[in-house]
Amino acid sequence: MKKFKIQNSKFKIVVFLSLCCTVALLLYCSSSLAELTINANHDHITIDFFYHGSTVSVSGISNQDVDLIVKITSPEGHQVMKEKGKAAGFLWMNVGTLNLEHVPNFYALHSTKKIEDILNKDEMEKYVIGYPALEKHVGMSPVANESDKTKWFEEFVKFKEDSKLYAMSSGKISFSHEGGKSKYYILTQWPYQAPPGEYLVTVYSVKDKHIIEKAETRVVVKQVGIIKMLSGMAANNGAMYGIISIIIALGAGFGVGMVFRKGGGAH
Amino acid sequence: MYLYLPVALTSINILIPVGLGLAVGLLSGLFGVGGGFLMTPLLIMFGIPSTVAAATDSNQIVAASTSGTYAHWKVGNVDFKMGFHLLIGGFVGGLFGVQGIKILRAMGNADFVIKMAYVLMLGIAGAYMFVESLQSMNKNKVEDAKPEKESGVARLLKSLPLQTHYEKSGVTHSALIPIVFGGFVGVLAAVMGVGGGFLMVPVMVYILRMPMHVVVGTSLFQILFNCIEVTFLQAYTNHNVDFVLAVLLLLGSTIGAQVGAVFGRKLKGGQLKIILAVIVLVVTVKIIFELTLTPSLLLSQAGGH
Repeated sequence: MKKFKIQNSKFKIVVFLSLCCTVALLLYCSSSLAELTINANHDHITIDFFYHGSTVSVSGISNQDVDLIVKITSPEGHQVMKEKGKAAGFLWMNVGTLNLEHVPNFYALHSTKKIEDILNKDEMEKYVIGYPALEKHVGMSPVANESDKTKWFEEFVKFKEDSKLYAMSSGKISFSHEGGKSKYYILTQWPYQAPPGEYLVTVYSVKDKHIIEKAETRVVVKQVGIIKMLSGMAANNGAMYGIISIIIALGAGFGVGMVFRKGGGAH
Repeated sequence: MYLYLPVALTSINILIPVGLGLAVGLLSGLFGVGGGFLMTPLLIMFGIPSTVAAATDSNQIVAASTSGTYAHWKVGNVDFKMGFHLLIGGFVGGLFGVQGIKILRAMGNADFVIKMAYVLMLGIAGAYMFVESLQSMNKNKVEDAKPEKESGVARLLKSLPLQTHYEKSGVTHSALIPIVFGGFVGVLAAVMGVGGGFLMVPVMVYILRMPMHVVVGTSLFQILFNCIEVTFLQAYTNHNVDFVLAVLLLLGSTIGAQVGAVFGRKLKGGQLKIILAVIVLVVTVKIIFELTLTPSLLLSQAGGH
């Protein structure tokens, strides 16, 4: 069970192994543990013309005497940011670029208590739970040293939180007890800034500072109707899209001009 | 009411773009500027990614300047011949400007040079227009005597070939002059990534000596063509034009441009100049503040996808 090692660059393997590990754990402990389940209601979010964000409720069954952490992430990837700094000593402007690897565009954590209080550091890093663990997991360049990396990672989190793509909360998960089991429930705001894609929702069950179980589900965000048609056309048929945009703008300009003439605007 | 923007990938209250369109369209109809120097930063402030903001604004300006050109044309304030000559220059200048950016980027520190050039140009154009229109408003009567004493530069310009009479503007110049100065503005506009209306207006007023009301109409006419080109290139190469946002903006700006054109006829040329000068100076000061105050976020999304 302890044969796997954490390799930052091979996160998928880690995820896979930790899944195996969880399954093994589950089989091993099935006599003493209730099965952890997860459900995301509203798991197909559709972006239509009037979309202004949504809500996702995550619920399931857990053991009674455990803490829970709900993590929602998008697939990891590469991101490029512009860095602001002082040019010529006193003028703030873009002075460089920052490259981030293995970084999720979306990262939300909701836990029953503060994560540092219920989970030990090794576990946080193993499952990439919390900003310090995420910082360790993410590759950044160019950074001069560890403190430089920390500084820019904090700025990155600030930027993401500002656009609602990163979020943290504790104490918002509610429980209702039934027999020996607990039903947990949390309602999360789904920000309209989160782009279309597939999101992974994981619930971790925590006891004695260790993760003892986890369960996963997915939330799919999709564009539909006019929005899907327009964004598809902008990406795949730029020339036609541009020509249509120009013709509509010309038509609108002339149209309004005519209306104003008829309305007696010219005298 | 909120609408989702398919390219900006964000949601916006429709009153914001319609209101911004109305305000910037009004300025466009009044002064003959595209208003990109106001619109783009405002859109970024409301959460639109910067690349999408600039590209979509150029699409919106197509509508506003069509509306504005139409309104000015009805009262005979568009000098098409002058507009064409400026366009020829602007087109060639734009090609050189794009190469210029490549050279600047290769040398490094391009952003610094571009930003400084932008602040300087805004400041100089605004300050010159402000001081000049103040002076000419103070001594309105002296102005009539002005054309009689010609400077050496003016005589040199008169001796150039291809002398052409521009009927609507009531001036005679060598056709090379609008082409060269149009080209100069085209280079700067391409380098700074702006439409350049705030530079074209002073060039027409002070170098081409056109009457202010014809300047506004003619400037809008040539902005229209520039923005058609830019919109197409942005949609084709960068996929950055947000159609829904552009429609919301043009709902306001086409009407604003009409109102501006009507309102502008009631103002004197000098008054128009001084108000435009003040707006340009205010924007300059705002940019200087932005450059010197510590920003709340030190990172921003890099351009392109």
